[in-house]
Amino acid sequence: MLVKKNWVNWIVFISVGVSLSARPGYSQGWFKTGINLGQTAVRIAVPDFPPQSANQQLVSLTQTFNKVLWDDLAFSGILEMVSKSYYPLTTPQTPQQVNFNAWSSAPVSAQMLVLGSTAAINNQMVVTAYLQDVRSPGSPPALAKRYVADLNQGSARAIAHHLANDIIKLLGGGIPGINLTKIAFVSNRTGYPEIWMMDYDGHNQHPITNYHSLCTTPRWSPDDEKLAFTSYASGNPEIYIYSLLTNHRLPFPTYRGLNTTPAWSPDGKKIAFCSSMGGDPEIYVSHADGADLKQLTFAPKVNISPVWNPKTGKEIAFVSDRSGTPQIYIMSSDGTNLRRLITYGGDANGPSWSPNGLFIAFSWGEVGTGAYDIYVINISTGQIIQLTHGEGRNTHPSWAPDGRHIVFVSTRNGGHRQIWTMLANGHGARQLTFKGGNWNPNWSN
Amino acid sequence: MKSHPRRLVILAAILGLAVIGTTSCHKKAVPPPATPPPPAVPSAPTGSLTAEPSTIQSGQSATLTWTSENATDLELEPSLGKVQPQGSTTVSPQQSTTYTLTLKGPGGENSYEARVTVAGVPPAPAAEATPPVTEQDLFEQSVQDAYFDFNRANIRPDARAALTHDAHFFEAHPSINFTIEGHCDDRGTEEYNLGLGERRAEAAKRFLANLGVSASRITTISYGKDRPFCTEQTPACWQENRRDHFVFGSETH
Repeated sequence: MLVKKNWVNWIVFISVGVSLSARPGYSQGWFKTGINLGQTAVRIAVPDFPPQSANQQLVSLTQTFNKVLWDDLAFSGILEMVSKSYYPLTTPQTPQQVNFNAWSSAPVSAQMLVLGSTAAINNQMVVTAYLQDVRSPGSPPALAKRYVADLNQGSARAIAHHLANDIIKLLGGGIPGINLTKIAFVSNRTGYPEIWMMDYDGHNQHPITNYHSLCTTPRWSPDDEKLAFTSYASGNPEIYIYSLLTNHRLPFPTYRGLNTTPAWSPDGKKIAFCSSMGGDPEIYVSHADGADLKQLTFAPKVNISPVWNPKTGKEIAFVSDRSGTPQIYIMSSDGTNLRRLITYGGDANGPSWSPNGLFIAFSWGEVGTGAYDIYVINISTGQIIQLTHGEGRNTHPSWAPDGRHIVFVSTRNGGHRQIWTMLANGHGARQLTFKGGNWNPNWSN
Repeated sequence: MKSHPRRLVILAAILGLAVIGTTSCHKKAVPPPATPPPPAVPSAPTGSLTAEPSTIQSGQSATLTWTSENATDLELEPSLGKVQPQGSTTVSPQQSTTYTLTLKGPGGENSYEARVTVAGVPPAPAAEATPPVTEQDLFEQSVQDAYFDFNRANIRPDARAALTHDAHFFEAHPSINFTIEGHCDDRGTEEYNLGLGERRAEAAKRFLANLGVSASRITTISYGKDRPFCTEQTPACWQENRRDHFVFGSETH
């Protein structure tokens, strides 16, 4: 029984009212397993890799490498990091130098040890890294790999991300790490809302658009080579498809009225979007070049924010206020089999479908308060879990491809909307953006 | 050693894979893997940024006023750059602009926004010293915006009165084309409000069309909550932002 340290707080909506009350005591196994956080965290020691020469550039890059590696592993959600203050005084650089007993017994009590060293060879940064099970003396390392990249800060970060990905894949049930993924978002820090991009940890923030207009609702294509978004650059909100390979726009038809919230089907061939071409905002679907346009919803109200079931491609969730307040609905991708997913009053917005197809994350708040929090619903059972708890306004969740992490928007650190990430159990929230207002994050695949 | 410039190259492959036993039938409580960083000891910078007036005609100016506490470094964008901890300055943006004040200090970062809305398109430069009253002048003096309830796009009684008044004006000035901008308050979410603003603009367009104003004269556009008239979190300010705003001319192509 998890009593003192609940991973998540259970929330049950009471009858048809809008009041929520915490009700502990339910089994949470389905959720922890569903978000790939069900296993016991592996206790891991990660001593700093020493640089093998006093080359000042190498020393500086090694500091970067060590910090990024630590941060990546600490945020993975599957590892229990052993504090560096417990480590033996001598740091091994090869498996042959490891004192298994010293690392596996108290106070370190590690299961796994990451070790290695850095060097500058032929103007390149060379990192030799090992992952060693210290509770099986003499066992071969689980990982022995050499990483080579240019001698610069960006490459030092990339090497650390690659190594962290390899370790997380080995220790996390084969699910690839997300340390090389990106987050697209909207920022108005230049005075205009433009599409921006950053690494998953908030580094390397840079603009994608420069329209000096209004751009919003970016969505990654499944192959991460394109972004679809809304641009007002022509004067009217239109769907733009942007190739990140060529840095050029790809063709997509223009329609009258509002055209926004494009969403890629998991095979990348179709786009569902909201358009008011017929008068009211309805959900449409077409091929990614605009061919074969079909209208999926027929309710003369707001119908917006479609997302595909990324596992099957056969269902679409979206937001509609046909009941009087915005609520989340699910339909087959041909528009049939419509049903309301969240049936508890209030305002439900911003659905994001989990990569395994089992859950939808969304924001929910009582009508008119603007006080939203992030929740996750188990689509087949209707069970709901609350991830944020009234610290500012929390909206617009988007799942990471590992199903273990969620990016979202929060005002918890002051008035401005900023982009945060957290584990999908609600823990470990960290702020990624600080300049201007930032919203509508979308995690790459 | 081989050298592969510019590319991250993996030279050695995985040598072995240890089996990691991680299952246990009787789970102990696992501490959260990471806790949020504790608040920094120095106080986070705070401040304010206001624009007065928040709506100007093209060519007019507005005054930006800001204050700050616990900030060592202040930047006001776009184009104003580093500024003093307190102050004010006059701006004359050509188009509606959101100004962002970014504060940095030992306690962290913070930022604030104020928007200056530039109403209408700039009138053509007049040759005479005293230009005649233009149709745009008349439009801006006469046409009233329509206001809405939260989460709603239906025309309520005060909006019906405003739009009926507007219909008479458009009937008397048949050459004027115009744009209805749908706006929403800050409490809804960004995406839903794009749809709601569109329905508000379309609702006014239908209302005017029913009173005989040709739909071909009317362009609609939704800005959701992205171009607010007012940025405070008060009921009065929310009401200011739940509106159809009428703009002279057609904004779109």
